[in-house]
Order: sequence, then structure tokens, then C-alpha cells
Amino acid sequence: MPTPASPPSPTDETLVIALPKGRILDEAMPLVRAAGILPEPAFDDPKSRLLRFATNHPHIDIIRVRSFDVATFVAFGAAHLGICGNDVLMEFDYPEIYAPLDLGIGRCRLSVAEPENMAQEDDPRRWSHVRIATKYPEVTRKHFAARGVQAECVKLNGAMELAPSLGLASRIVDLVSTGTTLVANGLKEVEILAEVTSRLIVNRAALKTRSQEMTGWVERFRTVCEARDAA
Amino acid sequence: MTDTPIRALLPAGLRDVLPPDADREAVVVNAIMARFAAHGYERVKPPLIEFEDTLLDGAGAATSSQSFRVMDPLSQRMMGVRADMTPQVARVAVARLASAPRPLRLSYAGEVLRVKGTQLRPERQFGQAGIELIGSAAPSADAEVVTLAAEALTGLGVPGVSVDLSLPALVPTLLSELGLAKDAIAPLREALDHKDAALVGSLGGAAAAALSALLDAVGPVDRALAALGAIVLPSGAAAERDRLAEVVARVRAAIPGLALTVDPVENRGFEYHTGVAFTLFARGFGAELGRGGRYLAGGGEPATGTTLFLDAVLAVVPANARPRRLFVPVGVPWFESAALRAAGWVTVSGLDPVGDAAAEAKRLGCSHVMTATGVVAVE
Repeated sequence: MPTPASPPSPTDETLVIALPKGRILDEAMPLVRAAGILPEPAFDDPKSRLLRFATNHPHIDIIRVRSFDVATFVAFGAAHLGICGNDVLMEFDYPEIYAPLDLGIGRCRLSVAEPENMAQEDDPRRWSHVRIATKYPEVTRKHFAARGVQAECVKLNGAMELAPSLGLASRIVDLVSTGTTLVANGLKEVEILAEVTSRLIVNRAALKTRSQEMTGWVERFRTVCEARDAA
Repeated sequence: MTDTPIRALLPAGLRDVLPPDADREAVVVNAIMARFAAHGYERVKPPLIEFEDTLLDGAGAATSSQSFRVMDPLSQRMMGVRADMTPQVARVAVARLASAPRPLRLSYAGEVLRVKGTQLRPERQFGQAGIELIGSAAPSADAEVVTLAAEALTGLGVPGVSVDLSLPALVPTLLSELGLAKDAIAPLREALDHKDAALVGSLGGAAAAALSALLDAVGPVDRALAALGAIVLPSGAAAERDRLAEVVARVRAAIPGLALTVDPVENRGFEYHTGVAFTLFARGFGAELGRGGRYLAGGGEPATGTTLFLDAVLAVVPANARPRRLFVPVGVPWFESAALRAAGWVTVSGLDPVGDAAAEAKRLGCSHVMTATGVVAVE
């Protein structure tokens, strides 16, 4: 029996880029490619089970993970560069992540929504306590605490829109882009917590110890974004 | 069934250091302290715990939320366990050693305790070793401390040491000189901490252009100094910048090949610093190895210093070969094994007669065994 090849071990010189699965990836890849980083063919093969991909640069690897995990990989230095939304950055508030460049992709907003009939007679000034279903408990708690309201958060990982109709929580905090999902579930967007776009993020220690290289990539992405905006 | 697992559980962030790590730590601390001593720094040893109001005064205020407190049953006053040794050494310098000639050079090493670890370094108890240079405001003092901190690390064989220089007072000076409203400053600080260029641009107001230029200056030292030089700054902020350039020149003259970066907007953890500050990194290692910078000791005396975090330093110091351990069976005269110890062997004495001395040596982790014909290696 042939022995399995040992996994590539990250050396001092490997540069790992963490990209988020799903919606943002489609918008991010043109920028990554324009910056001259081309992943191996398996990256675009939906049947591939690989999680880590080689690129045209021998020392650069791409990993594809959930957007919340992009932040965690970069915060702990397991990945050096990454792309993720400022919704995720706000939620974790990792001190080890720098977000030097707004890529202007993945535009949406982080909003509070509630059932339409409730929105009509609700007076937010009288709240002392709210119960909210969200993927963003930290951002939600902070946001409401700043107005003197205690937010009790029910953490969900998806399908937040179901929570009000099934009595799990009367309100939700979630990403809204067009608002059609909200309308389809009888919900109304009542307040915007933050405008969201995706950022190029850099691990703090990598920026300090591989300064030349990291600032070089940030500049490259900046040039790509400027060229796109000019077009 | 035993209750060992429960008895072995320690509170989060605390741990038992076992052989050979405990010994290694002691060796590293001694090497660092010897280097500091060679540069004329004299060692002081403040207590582990002292009254809260002196511990958390002045430079210590920043560690207030990180300090464990206990009530002193004797004086009925609140005491704090040190979370950082710098404020203690500063207190010693301005109170106990007020009459000692300046500049005063002090060194220290000891354990600190913190309420909460950080993400990258979850340890709540760890060792610190450092120096404080008190009574001089000269750029040469800043340079001496930066140089010595870097030299302490490179001297231990740490590969890829890199020093990130920052000016914690620059942004506050700039913001007040540009007349920004107080309530605009906090969110702006946070955006700067995350190097969020987009947010800095939108929150910056009158300071947006200068702050964005400062953000762009973050990076390798030559590029950063050139970028900083091109920014039009108010006089107070410009003085900070010029001082940084002078410190850089001096550090470079001392250690020509040292990797230097500049981050003019770095502020976190530098709450009590008033001038050139710095953070120590090693390439490929995510956590800080130490930090330091200029502050006011006892609220008035110019001082600068550095602290190395021993848990992080130990993680990047190359492991030394373990000393050769020699098993000496029972019955070998003391003077014979003493001669071997004098020759550099670590001897492990047998206490009872054993049949197979070589097997016993191996069981006890010895590399060699003493036999009638002399020292023999154990395979």
C-alpha cells in the first residue's frame, strides 16, 4: 500500500490567504485574480473536497472557510491575509486583525427587523429589554447597551427570519441586502446597525514581521480596486 | 477510580511548568538578566502584592482592570497583585531611590498575575524580565532601551527579531491640535486601532487627511519615515516625528541589520506612554515578545523601559541540547562522581543495588551509565 503523502507543512515563508465560502467569494475572486493570484483548477471544481489550494505562486496557498472562520484564522496567524465583511470584524473585535482596505464588495447592511404589525405601534424609546434572534450577539448587545437597553440574544446560525413567526424572539438582527427575504417573511427593517462591505484583512504580527511583503499585497489590492472603480 | 483528574485541574490560564521547561525558563531569565547587568542595570525586587492605591497609581492605572485584589486583614486596606512590574519599579525609583543619581538604571524579573489573558497568550500568570531607565528624556535613552531589548532577544538565538516602533502620543497630539471634538475621538481611535482605512476616512473630519496619511505610513522603517516626513503636521506632532527619526538612526547605528517597522497610529497597551514606544516580534510567531517605551515615572520624571514576556520568549528561543545525564549505581564513592560533576556531567545516583545498571539508567532518562570500566553510553 502506498503511504499517503504528508500534508504540506506551513513553513516560515508560506503565505496563507483565507477566503470566505459563498456569496462574497464570487465577488472576491475577480479581485484576487486581478491581483495576480491564480488558484489551482480544483478551486473552481464544486466536487473537489480540498480545503487548501495551491496557487501560481509557489509560496502562496488559499484556504476556503466560513466567513466567521476567516477572521479567526487571520486573528491567530494561521492565515496571513483574508477577505471578510466588517460585520464579522465587528462581532469578534479581534485586536490582532487589521483591515487596511475596503474592497467595496459584498455590500449590505446589518439591521434590526421585526414583524410588520409590531413595527406600526412600537416605540423603541420605551424599551428596557429586547429579545433578539441573531448570528451577531456581541454587536447586538453592544448596540442596544449604548442606548440603555438590555438585549437578550438567541444565537442562530441561519434562517433568522423564522424566529419571530415561531415565537423564538420577537426581533432579529441580520444582514439585509435587497430586503426580499424579510418581506417574504412578513418582517420590516426598522433600524440599521451598520453598513457592511468586505475588507482585506491582515494579521497584525504578519504585518509587523513581513512588513514589505504584506504592505506590497495591500498596495496590489488597492491598485486593483482603483482600476475597477475607474472602469 | 481515582480523583486525580479533579485534583489536577488548574484555573484557566494557570499551569504547572515541568522539566525540562522550568529549568529552561530559569536559564533564559539568567541570560537576559546577565545581559542587562552587563549594561549597568541593577536589579530590584518589589513585592508580589502591595496596596492598591500605590500599585495602581500613575503608570499603574492602565493595569487596574487586570489586577486581582484582596483585602489585607492586617491594615484592612485593599491590596492588588501586580499585573505588570513597570509601575512598581517606577515607584521604587521615584520614592525609595529618589536620592540615587540620575540616570538610574534598574532591572527586574518576576511573575505577574492578570485577571484575564489575551487571545494569543491565554496565560494569566507569566514571567516578566525588563529594565527601566529613569531620569533622562534624551533620544539616546530611548535608543539604548530599544537596542538592549532587541539585543537580549537576538542574544538568546531568537531568529528574525523585529521591532515595531510607535508614537502613542502622536495621534492624541494631532487630534487636539486640529481641534477635534472629544466625543468624535473614541470611535476614531477604535477605527485606527483596527487600521480600518475606510472608517478613518469617514470619521476623521478635519483630521481625515492627516490620519489616512499616517495609516499609509505603517510599514518598513525607511518607507514609513519618508511617508511621515511628507505629511504636514502641527508643531507638537512634528516634534514627535522628528524624535522618532533620531531614535531610529541611533538604533540602526548600534544594530545595523535589525528589522525595524514603524506604526505611527499604534495605541493599544500604550495608554501610559508619552513618547517613542515599541513592540518586539519574531518572524513567524504571532504573539508579542515584549514591549516598552517612554513614560513619566511617578507622574513627573522622564523614564523609558522595556518588558519581555517570558512565556512568549520561551516559545521562540531555540531549545538547547539537554545536558548529558549519567547514572551512578549505588556504591560508587562520592569523590568519583564529584569529579564527573566537576567535568560537566549531571549525575543521578542509584539508591538501591540494581541488577542491570544500563536498563536502570535508561528507565531514569539517563544518556550514560557509570560502569567498572568507566562511562558508557546507554543506547
